[in-house]
Amino acid sequence: MLEGILFAMFAGVAIGCALGVVFHRNPVHCALLLVGVLLSLAGVFILLHAAFVAALQVIVYAGAIMVLFLFVVMLLNVKGETPLLTPGAAKGFGFLFGLIVATELLWTVLSPGGSEGGPFPAAALPAEFGSPAGLGMLLYTTWLYPFEIVSLLLLVAVVGAVVLAKRKFF
Amino acid sequence: MGTMPMVPLVWYQLLAAILFTIGVVGVLVRRSALVIFMSIELMLNAVNLSLIAFSRQHGGMEGHVFVFFVMAVAAAEVAIGLAILVAIFRNRETASVDDVHLLKG
Repeated sequence: MLEGILFAMFAGVAIGCALGVVFHRNPVHCALLLVGVLLSLAGVFILLHAAFVAALQVIVYAGAIMVLFLFVVMLLNVKGETPLLTPGAAKGFGFLFGLIVATELLWTVLSPGGSEGGPFPAAALPAEFGSPAGLGMLLYTTWLYPFEIVSLLLLVAVVGAVVLAKRKFF
Repeated sequence: MGTMPMVPLVWYQLLAAILFTIGVVGVLVRRSALVIFMSIELMLNAVNLSLIAFSRQHGGMEGHVFVFFVMAVAAAEVAIGLAILVAIFRNRETASVDDVHLLKG
């Protein structure tokens, strides 16, 4: 019962804030509403017993990445643009395409095969499910090479960001 | 932890589908490149939610590993994307994707 109430609360906040991100005029408000989405998704992750990923979500996403966004908003000093949405036919096609994607996704989720999983299995999860120890055990054994590649990717991204921010290109 | 879970998998997938759709619409209809980046983050998070829900259903932690990688790639993408945005703004004085059309025929 409590789980259902919490899920409804987090889901409602997430969807409301997501709509705000897309349709709000001021980019600073958009960024803060995105923080709302990320935090409520962290709550949903905790409902799914993914405690460590929820902590990562708060620290990495709502902390680091959103600070980066707010810095750039401050740096660029962008005002809310006067036509909020892209003008002309592109807007119509955008909403049409969104409708198509929504139909497709809902069709997939709600089709008989999609909901076959039913309620989550009541069988007890492994003790370390969702803990840093469990994630680390997988990450440093089975997924060691992808992990190293991702660290290389982050290094390249940092160097690239510095180079891009220094020079004049366009 | 031992209680019977109340919310079935489908509800989590529905939430992920709705958030992903909102992100798609945001990318397609907004003009500001910053908000487009935020909408991309929205879509990435929707996929993360679906991965975590499947991981819960499956009982294994591989989904959490995928989410970890998605977060790392998202961080790299945001760093590069925002650096490009700053470079464009510095030279063109605009953050709107409609005003950057050098490649338009």
